[in-house]
Amino acid sequence: MNPASSTRGTVKERADIALNDDFLRNAVRFTTDRLRSGKKVASTEHGNWEEWRERGRQIRLHTIAHLDYYLNLFVENARSNGVHVHFADNAVEATDIVMTIARQKEAQSVIKSKSMVSEEVHINQALELSGIEAIESDLGEYIIQLAGEGPSHIVIPAIHKNRYQIAELLSEDAGETLEPDTTILAGYVRRKLRQKFLEADIGMTGCNFAIAETGSMVLFENEGNARMVTTVPKTQITLMGMERIVPSWADLEVMATLLPRSATGQRLTMYMSGITGPKRTVDADGPEEMHIIIVDNGRSQQLGDPEFQELLNCIRCGACLNVCPVYRQIGGHSYGGTYSGPIGAVLTPALNKNVAEWDDIASASSLCGACYEACPVKIPLHDMLVSLRRRKVERGHGDKLEALGMRGFATLMANSKRFALAMRLGKIAQKPFVHNSGIHLKLGPLKGWNTYRVAPTLANHSFRDQWKELSAETAAQPKTIDPAVRQRMEQVLADRQHNKSTSRTGGESHE
Amino acid sequence: MKVSLFITCLSDAIYPKVGEAMVRLLAAHGIQLDFPPVQTCCGQPSYNSGYWDETRTAARTILKAFQSSDFVVSPSGSCTYMIHHYPELFKDEPEYLALAHELESKTYEFTQFLVKVLGITDIGAAFPYKVTYHPSCHGSRLLGIKDEPIALLNHVQGLELVPLPFAEDCCGFGGTFAVKMADISGAMVTEKVDHIKETEAEVLVGLDMACLMNIAGNLRHRGEQVRVMHLAELLYEGVSVR
Amino acid sequence: MSNTNQPFSAKPPVVPNPESSHLTPDHEQHDSSQADWLDELEQKSKAKQQTFMNHIADRLQRPRIQEAPKHPFRGAPEIWQDFNWNEAEKIEKFTKHFTEVGGNVLRMQTLEEAGAFIAEQSRLLNAQYIVRQQLPETEALTLEARLPHVQISAWNSHTEEAWKARAAEADIGIVLADGAAAYTGTVMVTSSASQGRSVSLLPTVCIVLLPIERLQTRLGELLIPWDSKGRENLPAGIHFISGPSRSSDIENELTIGVHGPGIVYTLLIG
Repeated sequence: MNPASSTRGTVKERADIALNDDFLRNAVRFTTDRLRSGKKVASTEHGNWEEWRERGRQIRLHTIAHLDYYLNLFVENARSNGVHVHFADNAVEATDIVMTIARQKEAQSVIKSKSMVSEEVHINQALELSGIEAIESDLGEYIIQLAGEGPSHIVIPAIHKNRYQIAELLSEDAGETLEPDTTILAGYVRRKLRQKFLEADIGMTGCNFAIAETGSMVLFENEGNARMVTTVPKTQITLMGMERIVPSWADLEVMATLLPRSATGQRLTMYMSGITGPKRTVDADGPEEMHIIIVDNGRSQQLGDPEFQELLNCIRCGACLNVCPVYRQIGGHSYGGTYSGPIGAVLTPALNKNVAEWDDIASASSLCGACYEACPVKIPLHDMLVSLRRRKVERGHGDKLEALGMRGFATLMANSKRFALAMRLGKIAQKPFVHNSGIHLKLGPLKGWNTYRVAPTLANHSFRDQWKELSAETAAQPKTIDPAVRQRMEQVLADRQHNKSTSRTGGESHE
Repeated sequence: MKVSLFITCLSDAIYPKVGEAMVRLLAAHGIQLDFPPVQTCCGQPSYNSGYWDETRTAARTILKAFQSSDFVVSPSGSCTYMIHHYPELFKDEPEYLALAHELESKTYEFTQFLVKVLGITDIGAAFPYKVTYHPSCHGSRLLGIKDEPIALLNHVQGLELVPLPFAEDCCGFGGTFAVKMADISGAMVTEKVDHIKETEAEVLVGLDMACLMNIAGNLRHRGEQVRVMHLAELLYEGVSVR
Repeated sequence: MSNTNQPFSAKPPVVPNPESSHLTPDHEQHDSSQADWLDELEQKSKAKQQTFMNHIADRLQRPRIQEAPKHPFRGAPEIWQDFNWNEAEKIEKFTKHFTEVGGNVLRMQTLEEAGAFIAEQSRLLNAQYIVRQQLPETEALTLEARLPHVQISAWNSHTEEAWKARAAEADIGIVLADGAAAYTGTVMVTSSASQGRSVSLLPTVCIVLLPIERLQTRLGELLIPWDSKGRENLPAGIHFISGPSRSSDIENELTIGVHGPGIVYTLLIG
C-alpha cells in the first residue's frame, strides 16, 4: 500500500496531505455531491423511505441477534449445494486458505471482483508474494491497483483520481499513450481484462449478501466483472464477512431496495446475481469448484457489545461517506484503514482489538450525525464515535493534557458560583488580548481556532449578572397569556403526565 | 406553570443578548421565564470527548436546577439534545435517573417551544433584510427541528429568506473537534462561509450559538460584513423596531 | 416454425434430464488426489464450524440457537406487498426504467417478428457470429434461415465446443427471460445446460426475449418464489439484469459497456 493509505502517522498528518491537495478535494466533493443527490432523488422517488429503513434495520438486527443460527444454516445449505465452506478467524487464516486452494490449483493468476474483505485481509499482497498474479477487474479497483493504493471509498475506490492521472497510469500499463477520455480508458481496460478473464485459474469475489435458507450468495455490480469472475474461471473463491447473512430471498428484496439507492441512487445495480453452488454437471459454464471463506477478523468482537453490535448491520453502501463533511475535506486515505468515512472511523478501531491502535480516528468527527441520517439501516455512528472516545479515556489512552483540562472543566461547572466567578475573572484576563471586541491571538489552544477565525470575547455582563434587572423589568408590565396558548401548554402537561403513568421508564422523549 | 430558561454556558458568558431576547419575547406573550441560577453547563464538551465522570458533575447542576420546572426552554438544539443523553449517563444513579427522564421529557429548544408547544408562528416581527438560515446538525437531525424556524421566518414581514446551498452540512464546530482537528474544522467552516457568501444574504440566522460563533469567527477573519444572529435575537429586533 | 398460439412454456424451461444429473456439483468428477484434498478441507471445515458458531453464541451471551427463530420482519413492509400495476402500466414503467439507464425495449407481437428484428439488427451491426440459448423460443426466431451467412450456435448443442470462448467471440447473444420486474426495469435469466450464463454476458450485444406474461411489478415477485422452490431446485446462476454494463469509476462519468454487453435489447413479446 502506498504511504497515503497506510496507517502510519496520525489522522491529522494524513489529513494535512489531503487538505493541501486541491484536486483530491475537488474530486471527492464533485463525486460525493452527485452520489448524495442521486440518493436523495432515488429514495424520494421510492417513497416511504423511513419505513424501508426501519425494515432494513429490523432485518439486520434480527439476523445478527441470531447469527449463529442463520450462519450455520447458510453453511449447511451452501455445502449441500456443493460449495466448500471454510472459516477464518482472522486475516492470516483467510489468506492461508486462499493460498492452499491456489497451490492445489497450481494457479498462475487470480482475477478478482470488488471485495472490501479481500482489501481488509490484504489478499493481493499475499498472492503476489507467492508469485501468483492478482488482477482487480473492477475498473476503479484496477486503477488503484496500478497506482499501488488502497480504495479511498467503499463504492468508488478511485474517487480521488482524475482522468489525467488515470490516463497516465493506464498508458504506462498499455505501453502506449491513451487519451484522457473515459470511453477510451474504459475500452482499454475491457480489452485487456477480457484476456485476463479467459486465462485466469481462479475467480475471486466478495459477497454482498448470503441467503441462509438456500445457501446462495448475492453480488451487486454495474460492470459485469463480478459475473465474469463467477462465470469464466474454473475455480471460484468467495471471501465473505461472517455478518453478510440475510435469512431469505424475501429479505433480499429489502436489501436490494436500500443498497443501490443508498450507494449510487440507482433503482437497482445493472447486475444482481444469486449464485447457488458451482456449475451443475451438465452446464457448460460457471465454476467447477466453488469455495466460500467466512471471515471473522474482529467482527465477533462487536457481538454482545451493546454499543457496537449494530455495526454488523452495515451493508457497505458508502452513503455515510457521501454525506460526511469531514470525508468531503480529507478523502478516504486519511482514515488510514481499509474502510474510510464515518463507518471506517468506527469499524477500523472496532475490528482491531489493540486499544493503543485506536489512534485518533474517532476524534476526526464533528459528530454532526449526517452519517446516521443517511444510513439505510440506521446505524448510530455518531454515538459509536463518542463511545470509542469514552473507552479510550476509560482505558487510560486519552490525551494527558486534555484529561487535565476536562478535570478543570468539571471543577468549574460543578458549582454555579465558581462558574460565575470564572466568567468575571475571564473578563479581566482577556483584556490584553481584545482587539476590536475580538481575540486574534494565535497561541496555545487558540492557535488552531484563530488560524481560521476571530474568537469572540466574554460579554461585559453575563446573562446571570443581568438576570435580576431583566426579570424585574419584564415582571413590571406583565402581559396576559392567550387562553388558547395556555390551553395548549396544559394539554402538553397532561399528555406528559399520561405518558409517565403508562410508561415504566417515566419521562418519554417528546419527539 | 413554571417555564424555566436553560441559558447554556455559551449564551450566559458570551451571548447574553440571546437569553434576553428569549425572555422579552416570551414575556410579551404572557410567559414570565424563570432562571434557576444553579445551572452551569450541560456537559457536552466533556461528554463528546469521552469524559463521562466530568460530564456527570456538570449535568447534576442542570438536573437540580430544573427539578420543579414544568417546561425548560433553551436557545440551543445541541444542548437540548445533550439532555437526551442524561438517562444513559445516570443509569446507575436511580435518584438522578428519574430526574433525567423527567428533564428529557420537558426540555425544548426555543423554536420547538414556540411552535410546537405554544402554537405561535407569527410573532409580529418585521425585518426587511435578505436572510439565510443554517440548520444546526443536532437540532435539525437529532431533534428533528426542521419546519419550526422556517415557519417563524416565513411570518416575519419584509424578510427575504434565501436558501443556503449545502445548508445541512456541518459548519465544522463540533466542540473540542474545532481545537483538536483545527485544520479539518477550518476547511469545513471555510466552505460553509463560501456557501453563505454565495447567497449574498445580509444576515445569517441560526438556532445554536456554538455553530454561529464558529461561522461568525470565520466571517470576521475574512473581513465579511454578514451579520450573524440567533433567531430569537432576530425576532426580538423585528418586534422592537415595529 | 413459429407456433404463435403457444409460444412459451408456462414455467421457465428446464432441459430434460432423466437422471437429474444437472443437480450434481461438478467436483465429483475430479481425480482422486483432488478428492482427497477436498475431503481433508471438508473435515477441517466441519471441525472449525462448531467452534466458530459456538464462539458467536458465546459472544452473544446465550446458548446456541438450534431452532428457527421467529422472524417478524421478514421481507418488504406490508404496504409494499399489495402494490401492483396493471399490464399497461407494467409495460410503460418497465420500458421507461430500462430505457433510462441505456437499455432498449421493443414490443413485438410474435417470435417471428422478433426474429425479423434480430436479423435486421445483425445486418446493421454486420454480425459474424450469434450465440443463442438452446431453447424452443430462440429456435422459433428462425435466425439460421434468416441469416444464412452468419454463424449461429445454440448454447451447449454439442459437447466438444469451448462454449465460453465462443460466447466471448459472439457479436450477439440471445436469451429468454424467466421473469422481469417493471419497478426496477429488471429482467431475470437463469442458468442451465441449455442456458449458459455467458450468453447474456460475453457478447457485445445482448438480446433478451421477454414473454409479456412474465413481466411482474415488483422485484420481490421475482425473488420470493425462490424461497418456496426449495434449495435443491435453484439454478446455479440467477441473474438480474437492469441494462447495459456500465461504470462511473472515472470522474463519475458514465461509461457504457465495461465488461458486460454495452448494448442490451429487451424484446417484449405478446
